[in-house]
Amino acid sequence: MFALAWRNIWRKRGRSLMTAGAIALVVLITFLFFGLGTAVDNGLYQRLTERAGHLQVHVTGYRDVREFADGLIYNAAAVQHQIQATLPEAEWVAALDVPGLLEGDGRSRGIVLSGMAHSPALRAQFSDTHLVAGTLPELNDLQGIALGSRLARALRVELGDTVYLYAPGTLGFGAAAYTVVGLLDYGEASLDARSAFVSLAAAQELAAPDAVSRFGLQFPHITRLIDDARILAYQEALSAALGPAYTVETWRQVEPAMAATIELTEPMMAVFAAIFFVLAGLLVTNTIYLSLIERIREFGVIMALGANRRQVIGMVLTESLLLCLAGAAVGAAFGGISLAFMAQGFSFPEPLASAYAELGLPRVFYAGISLSQVLTVLVFTLATAILAALIPARAAGKLEPVEAMRFTA
Amino acid sequence: MKTILKTRDIHKTYRTGEVETHALRGVDLEIHAGEFTAIAGPSGSGKSTLLHILGGLDRPNQGEVWLGEARIDSLSFTELAKLRLTHFGFVFQAYNLIPVLTALENAAFVLELQGMPRREREAKALEALAILGIAELTGRRPNQLSGGQQQRVAVARALAANPRLILADEPTANLDSKTGLALIEHMQRLNSEDGVTFLFSTHDPRLLEHVTRTVYLEDGKIVKDSVLQAA
Repeated sequence: MFALAWRNIWRKRGRSLMTAGAIALVVLITFLFFGLGTAVDNGLYQRLTERAGHLQVHVTGYRDVREFADGLIYNAAAVQHQIQATLPEAEWVAALDVPGLLEGDGRSRGIVLSGMAHSPALRAQFSDTHLVAGTLPELNDLQGIALGSRLARALRVELGDTVYLYAPGTLGFGAAAYTVVGLLDYGEASLDARSAFVSLAAAQELAAPDAVSRFGLQFPHITRLIDDARILAYQEALSAALGPAYTVETWRQVEPAMAATIELTEPMMAVFAAIFFVLAGLLVTNTIYLSLIERIREFGVIMALGANRRQVIGMVLTESLLLCLAGAAVGAAFGGISLAFMAQGFSFPEPLASAYAELGLPRVFYAGISLSQVLTVLVFTLATAILAALIPARAAGKLEPVEAMRFTA
Repeated sequence: MKTILKTRDIHKTYRTGEVETHALRGVDLEIHAGEFTAIAGPSGSGKSTLLHILGGLDRPNQGEVWLGEARIDSLSFTELAKLRLTHFGFVFQAYNLIPVLTALENAAFVLELQGMPRREREAKALEALAILGIAELTGRRPNQLSGGQQQRVAVARALAANPRLILADEPTANLDSKTGLALIEHMQRLNSEDGVTFLFSTHDPRLLEHVTRTVYLEDGKIVKDSVLQAA
């Protein structure tokens, strides 16, 4: 019956090619759509985990504290030692975030000063990603500060200028003068306008000796969203090692809104893809129905020879399935080849690239498609083939052999 | 002779809008194994309707149809389809081969519907084509065959499944007289040598010289039923 169905499809070559082509196009578009969506998701994931780490360690209950002092990890060196012993493969950053008022050239802005000590790889990554002028303050530099570019412009300061920071209510000196040694670009305007970077030692001297606000942990081998589930095991191990005084959170818990946005991407893309398939399905229905009308006498003969309704319905469905699967195979081949190229890295043209950068996305994206997305395309194709042929198939199944053999179009 | 098919007082009426057409008006008929029977009569006498009802393609409005000991006029669509598939072979006036299949595939089509494995059904179909003298045409599609060749493929399709009875509705109507006669001679040989029972309708009096029995229909009634000697 497959051979018969296949040959029947090609009786009207032009019409079948157009229908299979429509399915191919929809599959191609869906592949590219999924590929781009995955690229954007992976870009977001990359940026989020670079900034927040895959895991963060805080004191338990840190979200509810009212005083700066209550949110600190005081025995930072011991906790860091414990973290590195438990997860030696993790790159780390120890950070002390200090809210304060930064003044320069007679202007001032409320900012969050981050004193950070990175593992060497993360420091290099931070520098490559964010530093646009000058240098980063060295590990034990108590004088240097790097400012977000927008913040520097707002304060009208440049490299070499002096800025003054006031951090009342903290546990250190509470005030300090720094020399601008670097300018940073965080990608996002809001971050750029309120962020400044000093060494962890400088921040501790200013606000909380020997303490940090958080540890961030990044796993270099987990770079794509599809691999993200692996961090749960690390979270569990670290929670057990550190005990109840500390909370280990994944990036999803740290950035729930972004996590929810990323989670929504795939279902949203699937909904749009489904709409594409519905439109293509209407064309398939038309093709199969016309094919039925043209062959009613033939169906009458087939039934007269002894085919039952199930076999006739099966023949119509088989034709629709073969037509759609053939189209889908072509679309998937072109889609797969396109994605293979896009997986090497691609950039959106300006000004789109800058607009995306403003939203915190990287300038280079890497397309990809997951097995579940490929299966979604396959399921949509099968569903389109079956649903589109359902009405013609039912009509064929209801034919009476004698009447069908007398039919004239 | 053993009765394989019989009818009791069957009536068939078609309704087109307000108009009723009485195609059959109380037909009683018995078909016996090994017969080579023609149903003759003018156009509109009910020949095709009778064949369709006998073959389970249509149902009478009244009366009974028996295949052996089983009454078949009240069977469901699915049961009738199975019956046609396993007990009857059909040959139609317009050949009605499937245009995208080769002669061999057409001849094997009923066997495919029966679910027979490919190799086995093709062997049987080839055998049937060989019996009808067209074994060399196996790879040709219907549009590459003459009318007579197509009708022989249709007979091979009916024959391949080894049915109890082959029903043919005006099998020579679309053939020239020489080709039609040759087809009837093929069918006659299958009947006399292999014991295949044939029942066919015709309005060509020359073909009646070759049958063993002629049933004459007029206005939906049997007006004459004569058993003849084969030519």
